[in-house]
Amino acid sequence: MDFAKDGKMLNRVCFSIIALAAVLTVWIGTSAQNTSKVTWPEVDWHKAPITAQNRKPAPKREIAGSWSTAEGANAGTQAKGVQLKPSDGNPEHDVPFTPHGLEVFKTHKPTEGVNLVPVSQQNDPRNLCEPLGFPRWNHYTLRFAQIFQDAAKVAVLYDYDNRWRTIWIDGRPLPKLLDGGVEIDGQFREDRWMGYSVGKWLDDDTLEVQTVGTMPEDLVWLDNAGRPISDQARITERFRRVDDDTLEWSETIDDPKMYTKPWDALKFIMRLQDIHTEENEDICSPALYKQYLDAFGNASSKQ
Amino acid sequence: MKNKLVILLALGFLISLPLSAHHGSASFADGKTAVLKGTVTKWIYANPHLLLMLDVKSENGEVVHWILETQSPTVMYPAGYRKDSFKPGDQVTVTAGLAKNGEPVGRIVNAVLADGTKLGDFRAESSPAR
Repeated sequence: MDFAKDGKMLNRVCFSIIALAAVLTVWIGTSAQNTSKVTWPEVDWHKAPITAQNRKPAPKREIAGSWSTAEGANAGTQAKGVQLKPSDGNPEHDVPFTPHGLEVFKTHKPTEGVNLVPVSQQNDPRNLCEPLGFPRWNHYTLRFAQIFQDAAKVAVLYDYDNRWRTIWIDGRPLPKLLDGGVEIDGQFREDRWMGYSVGKWLDDDTLEVQTVGTMPEDLVWLDNAGRPISDQARITERFRRVDDDTLEWSETIDDPKMYTKPWDALKFIMRLQDIHTEENEDICSPALYKQYLDAFGNASSKQ
Repeated sequence: MKNKLVILLALGFLISLPLSAHHGSASFADGKTAVLKGTVTKWIYANPHLLLMLDVKSENGEVVHWILETQSPTVMYPAGYRKDSFKPGDQVTVTAGLAKNGEPVGRIVNAVLADGTKLGDFRAESSPAR
């Protein structure tokens, strides 16, 4: 045996093992450090597109998750009005007002859309931090929403103003719409800011939700452009789980008091975010709103 | 009139950006911006929109108090705006969209902080990769 040669070989092997261990130690340490840096993960607005290679099948009858607008944070802002019909002067975006609807619309003084007015002249209830009411919550900075689900219900947690609503999926009937409220089990029930929502699965991927019993036209607007909505509205939403990472959220307005026919307001594609994701707080404070108007809004619109 | 003079002096360049926001777009002249170099007097990091108070000295020595807004904290956070981004006394350079009425109010397009850090437009920072 050549002990000298064998010894050199052994040294090389030992050196290689030590070097490999050192590299692994540094790599693991760096990885752990990088991971440990993010303890309060934020919304990832730059997620890779869904492709045939990374697409995962949709879970059946399941829409729970933390969802963000797929086209970026500002896709859901809807500053000029509902996503599919922004008030921008395009005739294709006109909504089919009834004479009464048009009359109410003209009394609204929005700060966005084609009929916008200076801040000092506006009368949007939003600027008093009044509850937006449903369906306007769908039409206002819909950046990030958390959806929870159990056997009986789905809860939608809106980021703006930390509001939430319940959609019952336990088979209960939709309340009968009356003037100024609804009828449930033979009793008159009051109208609500979020209305009364009932959902049913059309198939394993699509939950259809109907909402009635929302607040009257003197308390709520449909959108930032000042379109009206009445307590006679029936709102139909469809939540379609396209795949594991994608949820399509659409909405149709049917309000015979304000509009001559039903029309589509939304069709958002939402991306699934990590369940640990927390969006920044976005609460409307009347005092802070007044501070803003006093300091800036009124000066910017001074004649 | 003096305010208008300051605006004219501060006009570094004109660019065209859609300054769509939630509140009060009627009051802004589309595309008209000014570069404002001044001293921070106050930074309000709160809803509905962030507000930056800035003292800007004109060429004749007059100090004009500007009030500049952005969007809400939630919208601006991804673009790097933080509660401690500005402190009273900081010397900063801000490009802002201007109000139609000539008042010293505007909307921040971008800002260069005292340490040279540049804060950009929220639209670019919060959109998905193309």
